[in-house]
Amino acid sequence: MVRALGDLESTIMDRMWSYRRPASVRDVLEDLRREREIAYTTVMTVMDKLHKKGLLRRHPVGKAYVYETVSSKEAYTAGLMRETLASGGNQAATLVHFLERLSPEEAAALESALRVYPPKGRQE
Amino acid sequence: MTDALILAVYTVAACALLARPLSAARWAERAPRLAIAMWLSACASVVGSALLAVLTATVPADAVGHGLARLFELCTMMLAEGPGASAWAALGVCAITLSRLAASLAAVLVRARRERGRHAAMLALLGRPDRALGAIVVDYAEPLVYCLPGRAAKTVITTAALRSLSTSQVAAVLAHERAHVRGRHHLVLAAGEAFARAFPFVPLFDVARREVARLIELRADDVAARRHPRAQIAAALVGLATGRVPAFVMGAGGQSALTRVRRMLRPAAPLARGERLAGLATVALLLGGPAVVAAAPAMSAFIAHHCHALSLL
Repeated sequence: MVRALGDLESTIMDRMWSYRRPASVRDVLEDLRREREIAYTTVMTVMDKLHKKGLLRRHPVGKAYVYETVSSKEAYTAGLMRETLASGGNQAATLVHFLERLSPEEAAALESALRVYPPKGRQE
Repeated sequence: MTDALILAVYTVAACALLARPLSAARWAERAPRLAIAMWLSACASVVGSALLAVLTATVPADAVGHGLARLFELCTMMLAEGPGASAWAALGVCAITLSRLAASLAAVLVRARRERGRHAAMLALLGRPDRALGAIVVDYAEPLVYCLPGRAAKTVITTAALRSLSTSQVAAVLAHERAHVRGRHHLVLAAGEAFARAFPFVPLFDVARREVARLIELRADDVAARRHPRAQIAAALVGLATGRVPAFVMGAGGQSALTRVRRMLRPAAPLARGERLAGLATVALLLGGPAVVAAAPAMSAFIAHHCHALSLL
């Protein structure tokens, strides 16, 4: 159940990112209903949760809320990856390697180390 | 009292002198796992000998020598009269040292766990699981491969990495990540981190932390090399290290990447049986040595008391 809700969160976020404009729970519901049976309250609950998590922002229009994404998927990804790379100090959390920022000389040394190796070994 | 002195001198000497021969050891790159064990047991050895030095300085060694009856007598005496001030102080020092170590290990593990949880939650929204690869693919312009270790372990690869590496290189690099996960390398790292955090004034621990972080990469390369051609691992390393837009400033230079590539292309012979045994014996000595020194007077007192024939020798 928890897993299913998590999946729904990611599905709804993907829809919201693809619209590139604000959308109400009804809009998202109609979009989702083209593929599956789903209750209004379920979508509302998940969107409310995404709002509480700070991923969606909303403002009331009439009796309902209109939601929009706080920032783009690309921006979130960039943030997450940057955080991953920066957490080199806390490797116990994410084991990131290949992190060395190479100087041009070091990069050249790496390339040449590979080049002297018999080309047969480099074939895929 | 002599044993306490020996232990104290050993503690100080080990802190000051152990780091140098251990970092200079050229065999470490041939046997990274043994080297990791040696670093961590050196850390444990220092802490253990410090604790034993304090304890042996305050607890009379001959108490054990006169047999259990005498030991019990001494215990009841201590319980009845309460331990002396020095015994209290010794116990206090030991308790503080051990709890400091435990607390810093717990802090490292808890923080890592929380960060992993947050990271995984965002990954669930941003990435898409690729069944065939057995990894989560993230749309990102920099080639990057990493893993979130732990019980719900995840391997992550960016689209840029998929584009810049060949199929067999991707397989090799994912095998490297799985080696981290399966080897529970995050716990090994956490242990090294815990020593360094608990006692930041001990340079040995700081060197140990860095070396352990370096050596687990070598170890994961070796495990990946069992099933994947070494040349592919090397090529993947080069591809990932050189294809990076230098947007993020990282501390370490490219030296370790170069070491790893050379190691994959020109593998050194694994340690001979004798060398391996010598390494294991050193680990045992580091771990058990302080305990033997601490117990020696008690043992000799015991022998002197019960085996008169031996004491005549």
